[in-house]
Amino acid sequence: MKHSANADIAATNSSVAQIVQEYGPFPDADTIHGVTFDGHHVWAATGSSLLEFDPAQRQVTRKLACTCDAGTAFDGTYLYQITGEQINKIDPTDGSVLATIPAPGHGNDSGLAWAEGSLWVGQYRNRTIVQINPESGAVIRSIQSDRFVTGVTWVDNELWHGTWEADESDIRRIDPDSGAVLEQLIMPTGTGVSGLESDGADLFYCGGGASGKVRAVRRPK
Amino acid sequence: MDSLTAACARMLAAGDVLNALKLVALRDDPPALALRGVAMARLGDYARARELLEQAARKFGPHEPVQRARCIVAGAEVALAMRQLDSPLHMLAAALATLQARNDHANALQARLIMARRFLLLGRLQDASATICDLDTAGVPASLVAVAELVQAELALRSLHMERAQIALRRAQAAADQATIPALQAEVTAMQKTLQRPAARLRTADDDKTLTLAEVADLFASTALVVDGCRRGISVDGTWLSLARRPILFELIRALACAWPGDVSRQSLIATVFRLHDPDESHRARLRVEMGRLRKLVSTMAQIEATANGYALMPRDNRSAVVLAPPIDSDAAALLALLADGAPWSTSALAQALGASQRTVQRALADLQANGQVHALGKSRVRRWVSSSLAGFTTILLLPSVLALK
Repeated sequence: MKHSANADIAATNSSVAQIVQEYGPFPDADTIHGVTFDGHHVWAATGSSLLEFDPAQRQVTRKLACTCDAGTAFDGTYLYQITGEQINKIDPTDGSVLATIPAPGHGNDSGLAWAEGSLWVGQYRNRTIVQINPESGAVIRSIQSDRFVTGVTWVDNELWHGTWEADESDIRRIDPDSGAVLEQLIMPTGTGVSGLESDGADLFYCGGGASGKVRAVRRPK
Repeated sequence: MDSLTAACARMLAAGDVLNALKLVALRDDPPALALRGVAMARLGDYARARELLEQAARKFGPHEPVQRARCIVAGAEVALAMRQLDSPLHMLAAALATLQARNDHANALQARLIMARRFLLLGRLQDASATICDLDTAGVPASLVAVAELVQAELALRSLHMERAQIALRRAQAAADQATIPALQAEVTAMQKTLQRPAARLRTADDDKTLTLAEVADLFASTALVVDGCRRGISVDGTWLSLARRPILFELIRALACAWPGDVSRQSLIATVFRLHDPDESHRARLRVEMGRLRKLVSTMAQIEATANGYALMPRDNRSAVVLAPPIDSDAAALLALLADGAPWSTSALAQALGASQRTVQRALADLQANGQVHALGKSRVRRWVSSSLAGFTTILLLPSVLALK
């Protein structure tokens, strides 16, 4: 399986992911469904609440009660959260839901990212990333991947997404136009990526699924 | 992994089965099928649950081995709840190996507990004890710890290790309370109750009284020679001689032990053991032959002496002899014991657990049905048997078992 997963990727662009830090598991949270970063803090969707923690102090700084079953994103002011078959726009100060749009995968949705005025939604078993209008939920276009898509993130005009299929996970940069894989960071076997967010610099934050952990992975220069 | 699957799993874990089912009711991808299967099992529709879990396992395929293995384990648990004891064990064993290899500790433990409980139902106590001999319950959910301790407790009870059973039951209680699952707490309470209930009757020459399991264990630990009518064997100082497959010899020693310290006449032995009313010389010869066989088998435990009238049992070292009888005197006691778990059993599952033929079981069930002790649900192949009501005594000593007492 490992062989077939890597066969389509140029060997030079594929490397082993460097995990530099692990956070959690957090109290009352056994699964991490999505992660995002607001410039200072990491947010993690844990099913029944959104946790905000300080990656330097390693402390939970806030907890918003809301159902959060998949990806999380931050547009600079508001949080976006996939819940059931919809995406909620959430005020991070008090957790109130400001708007709701339908999720494009009707519940097959997994990862979420905000970039360039659009929301990017990863669809797990459909192996697809869909770009949608954050106001209306209208689909703008979709990009096909060859692996189950979990987290999605944009950094410096690069589109990265996490994959998790069977026991294997990686973080990969793809061409947003063609979907071709440009770079791949392979996670250790059994270490899943259930959510992905860049800190805007040289780190990725990855949700670790049922391990309840959030991991920081070095982004290659 | 995706949002509806995660939401559904979260609701299932919280016990909101109907709303969980609503989320994935129309989806046919393998995770949704698996969740639908689990939800249907929670609702008690085992047949549909098995179908869905089998479909999910097939669709996950060899590409997603862990998910597939989890479906197989869940399917095996449903089969156990349906008392379907004939499904092949190798699938479950392979799933267990996969889960162990991938460090899915909780689900691997679950698989082993299902295996052990199946062995317990089949009376294969040694296999059950081998399956759970090195269980590691560190870091798994309290509900699983409770089930593991319950299995340990049942195994200990069925081998009459009362102290071990008590310890396991206390741990099971603590874990069940921690898990706050009413069904589990009820199971612990039910097993605790078996300790107070009559488990057997003690027959001496001039007395007949009921014993609890602890008293039975004390009896086996005493110096007496015990003729055990529940499990059909003889025990002295912890040495066990099974006569389960020698019914004539067992009836002979039981008759002798009942009369101890007196003797039993030849006529009465022939009448009770051979079930004949009109004995002649040939039967006396047969009695002599059978007695010779018995004498040889029990020679280390007791002597059998011929008296003027008949035969007398003389346990070694001047020990006393006692006879244990089942709390309910019936040839179908083992059948009733299996049905006492409250689950509907098929004839074939009962036959498998008892190691008897289906025809034998059918005949016994027909008698019990005529007496109103069991009743049947459904017709022909889907016919299931349930016990009418069997409160008041423990079934531990009545269940079939193939474990030698050590």
